[in-house]
Amino acid sequence: MDRRTTLAALFGRSKSDKVSKAMPSLATTVLSGLDPYTGPFAYEHAAHLLRRTIFGPTYQQIREAVTNGLDATLNTLFADQPLPSEPLNVGFAEDPEVPIGESWVDKPYTQGNIAQMILGYRRRSLSSWTVERWRKHGMSIREKMTLFWHNHYVTAGINDPNLIYRYITTLRENALGNFRELTKKVTIDPAMLIYLNGNQNTAVAPNENYARELLELFSIGKGPAVGPGDYTNYTEDDVVAMAKVLTGWRNTTQYTVPAGSEFVNSRHDQSTKQLSYRFDNIEIPNMDGNEYAHLIDVIYQKDECARFICRKLYRWFVYYVITPDIEANVIQPMAQIMIDNDYEVRSAIEALLGSEHFFDMLSIGPMIKNPIDFVMSVLNTFEVEYNETNLEVYYRLLIGTVGEALEGMQMVPYNPPSVAGWKAYYQEPVFYRNWISSATLPPRVNFSNRLLNQGFGQGVNMVKIDALKFTASIDDPFDPNNLIDEFSRILHPQPISQEQKDLLKSILIPGLPDFEWTVEYGDYVNNPGNTDLEAAVRAKLENMLGAMMSMPEFYLS
Amino acid sequence: MKRRKFIQTTGLSVPLLVNGMNLRAMPKSPVFSAINGENDKVLVLIQLNGGNDGLATITPLDQYDRLANVRGNILIPQGDLLEVGVNNAFHPAMTGLKSQFDDGRMSIVQSVGYPNQNRSHFRSTDIWTSGSPANEQWTTGWLGRYLQEGAPDYPTGYPNAGCPDPFAITMGALVSETCQGTATNFSLAINDPFNLNPLLDLEGSVPPNTPYGDELNFLRDTIEQTNAYGEVITQAASNASNMVTYPGLDANPLANQLKNVALMIAGGLQTKVYIVSIGGFDTHANQIAGDDPSVGIHANLLSQLSVAVDTFQRDLVMLGLDQRVLTMTFSEFGRRIRSNDSLGTDHGDAAPLMLFGSCVAPGFIGDNPEIPDNPGVQDAVAMQYDFRNVYGSVLMDWFEVAEDDVKNLLFADFNHLPIIEGCETTSTDDIKPELEAVAFPNPFSKTVNIKFSCGYEQVKLSMFNGSAQELQVLVNKKLNSGQHQFSYDGSHLPAGTYYLHLQLENGRRKTKLVVKN
Repeated sequence: MDRRTTLAALFGRSKSDKVSKAMPSLATTVLSGLDPYTGPFAYEHAAHLLRRTIFGPTYQQIREAVTNGLDATLNTLFADQPLPSEPLNVGFAEDPEVPIGESWVDKPYTQGNIAQMILGYRRRSLSSWTVERWRKHGMSIREKMTLFWHNHYVTAGINDPNLIYRYITTLRENALGNFRELTKKVTIDPAMLIYLNGNQNTAVAPNENYARELLELFSIGKGPAVGPGDYTNYTEDDVVAMAKVLTGWRNTTQYTVPAGSEFVNSRHDQSTKQLSYRFDNIEIPNMDGNEYAHLIDVIYQKDECARFICRKLYRWFVYYVITPDIEANVIQPMAQIMIDNDYEVRSAIEALLGSEHFFDMLSIGPMIKNPIDFVMSVLNTFEVEYNETNLEVYYRLLIGTVGEALEGMQMVPYNPPSVAGWKAYYQEPVFYRNWISSATLPPRVNFSNRLLNQGFGQGVNMVKIDALKFTASIDDPFDPNNLIDEFSRILHPQPISQEQKDLLKSILIPGLPDFEWTVEYGDYVNNPGNTDLEAAVRAKLENMLGAMMSMPEFYLS
Repeated sequence: MKRRKFIQTTGLSVPLLVNGMNLRAMPKSPVFSAINGENDKVLVLIQLNGGNDGLATITPLDQYDRLANVRGNILIPQGDLLEVGVNNAFHPAMTGLKSQFDDGRMSIVQSVGYPNQNRSHFRSTDIWTSGSPANEQWTTGWLGRYLQEGAPDYPTGYPNAGCPDPFAITMGALVSETCQGTATNFSLAINDPFNLNPLLDLEGSVPPNTPYGDELNFLRDTIEQTNAYGEVITQAASNASNMVTYPGLDANPLANQLKNVALMIAGGLQTKVYIVSIGGFDTHANQIAGDDPSVGIHANLLSQLSVAVDTFQRDLVMLGLDQRVLTMTFSEFGRRIRSNDSLGTDHGDAAPLMLFGSCVAPGFIGDNPEIPDNPGVQDAVAMQYDFRNVYGSVLMDWFEVAEDDVKNLLFADFNHLPIIEGCETTSTDDIKPELEAVAFPNPFSKTVNIKFSCGYEQVKLSMFNGSAQELQVLVNKKLNSGQHQFSYDGSHLPAGTYYLHLQLENGRRKTKLVVKN
């Protein structure tokens, strides 16, 4: 090949070569579609479904799902759940409005010297409470959907925890609800009005920040630029016109309660707004405080909204490569289900997660876990316990274990890096690979090793993996080969090689024949209270589990 | 089984490189030689995330009255601005950059952008990082394509004895899209060169040719490279010391990134490209503090940039690296001409691009932006130079890429811009202290004496004005070795700043002259 051809290939210049070689070749991508999956629902299928829908499924949960079958498991995952109880004041005695042990949501802020401290404890309380949601969500898809919407309708850097609580509660309440109606709620959400300058959007000085992201990121998405200011799905003029539609909304002041927003007629542009031919030249007359909702109804008359969100859902639950086949056989029928259901999202997601495509072997394992999923797949899979007797200590340890680890791995909740969310879900061509770099890998290894070895906290509050308890939950842990197989089935999405198993065994029982493990482990089991035997077996198990969680296979789901 | 074996077998050319045999004997593109050691130039990119307001960064004074009409609520009083060049002024927070400018170590290309400007952060960032036209999506980065020319098999076989160091380093947690190649990104992301610990990977089998196998391969490669490169990076950074004091990490994270970059370069790392970044330029609201337009969000950002770059450049000079390092800013777009009512500015089009170093052509390239009489709400600064012409000129003049290759890497309509002023490729040892023209008295009004030393060599001595135009060649011939002195009559020159350029065979130096009336 001459250099010019090589260069052309490098660019992805020709239309047919748009998919770079960094992505899997078409021959190895999944061709199956959205038809319901009717094959066997064995351990690996149940594990795949649960890894993608909840944070860190346990061995027990996976085996229960196998017993219950696919339909029943989906029903459980999608069942209505009550909202979690509100975050608490767990130990700040000086808040005159909130006694210890009670919720601070929508409670006034005290002015004066203590105000900053009150703000601080409430923020920390919200962080701890958020981590607790990922720990205690049980068999429900709702938490992963809540995080999906947070990554979709981004707000970041909001100071007032009461506003963040309100924002995330709106997303959680509507996580399996109606896409169009959720966009309406988010549009006038006080945190969003602050984040994307809706507060500054007035008739005399329109601020188009929100209008642009509403189109580009929240509802219909940006298509290819086909002309000056024409992005296929909308035009620059639409951004300007829609900014006018949205004028007049602002949040009531930060740090006052209850959190809310209001429509101020004098700030609203009363004129008739003209949309472009991309929206059939529709005119939007003045409708005051109802105008924003009407506008969103107009946008959602375009079916592209359904396709746009279905692609994002696909990348959240399945894989980032969307080939023309996947577009035709998965995205389009999924979007049609959503349209048929008037933008209710539940049926479409259920169809995806119960489809032939989802259970295709090629769909199993290629998702790089995001940091939250990674951290929780350590904590939840090993059923790591926190001592919840002292709430103040418990809340502090939730941040100490998870919150700080997430910073190093570059995924801080309520603070995505930009309005488009975390790069892993939009940045071509590498998508999920954005999570992994020489800077973010060490924090992953450090986290699993710390939980295995010294743990977090002290004494009765120690947070640590109990390798012995975990081992005892396995069928026949006396056989080292079976032990390694079962551990790997829990921790790795696809079978590891015999060579890797041999290496792991050499960590468990260096240079010894298999029966020595059977003997050592048997001695420990038969001599409860012998701390020497216990310590020796525990150390071997911790070494091997540390290696298994440092394997890149553990970063995949 | 191990890919490390692979490295040894594929690295057949390594002994040639190690023994210093003539690389030109090997069939290769110019790029190949460039990234394999003959060219020791380093490019540092500073990404200004969010879209920097060019009009508030470098304000065209000849347009000041028009700006006052349309962005009066954020415009800094003219008296507070720092005047530079002709009819231009820096934001008052940029005192450090002003001294770089005055020292002739800063070049500003006016109104850089691209046709059909896209005002989405993400799309426009993709365009700037890939170097694509606005209406095409390219999945590789402009520097990734350049580096890939020289190392098409990367990461297979790297690092190796001839190429022990990473090609590019991004300071931060995410690799820069500018370095994205077809198969992998050429840059390594690091937060702290002193804190890179080896990671474990139990390799054991070739992953299947499936999406799962692809992702697994990617993870294994990253782990392997993190380990292999981690050692050389830490070693290099530990070899060197900064020669000036940088602000603390909390006060100025950008300065901290550049501090570590200086250490890695000084420590001998052969890395060609470093990418650092600073965010927060998306100033839709409260760009300035309400009561004083000279302070606020934008002022803080520019102050960080100015302090960081000025400190870095002074460090490089002290380390003797200033002729090897070129630093360049970029941002996804400029902002609107009209400010909004939130004391901010919305997404716009073109903006000035800044380059720093001892080898840049000092001063301004291009005309000041023209502000229309009554700009519309949507109007922004019109493009004067395509950003790909800047990129291409850097590739040509800094990395010695042939013009045809630049056209292939970027675009066929490439036009060279005189951004770099031929610093000869010299190793730091060759810079002799006597390479300096001393001028006295200075400032002067009529006559100035110029003194310099040279070997028996070709000497060129010229006078430039503040806009980097050559006014007069004073000497251009082979001189005997020793000290030389000239007297120059400058009585015809209008008052202002001028530069005396002394070009010897081993390098070039600028001396600032001030003419007063």
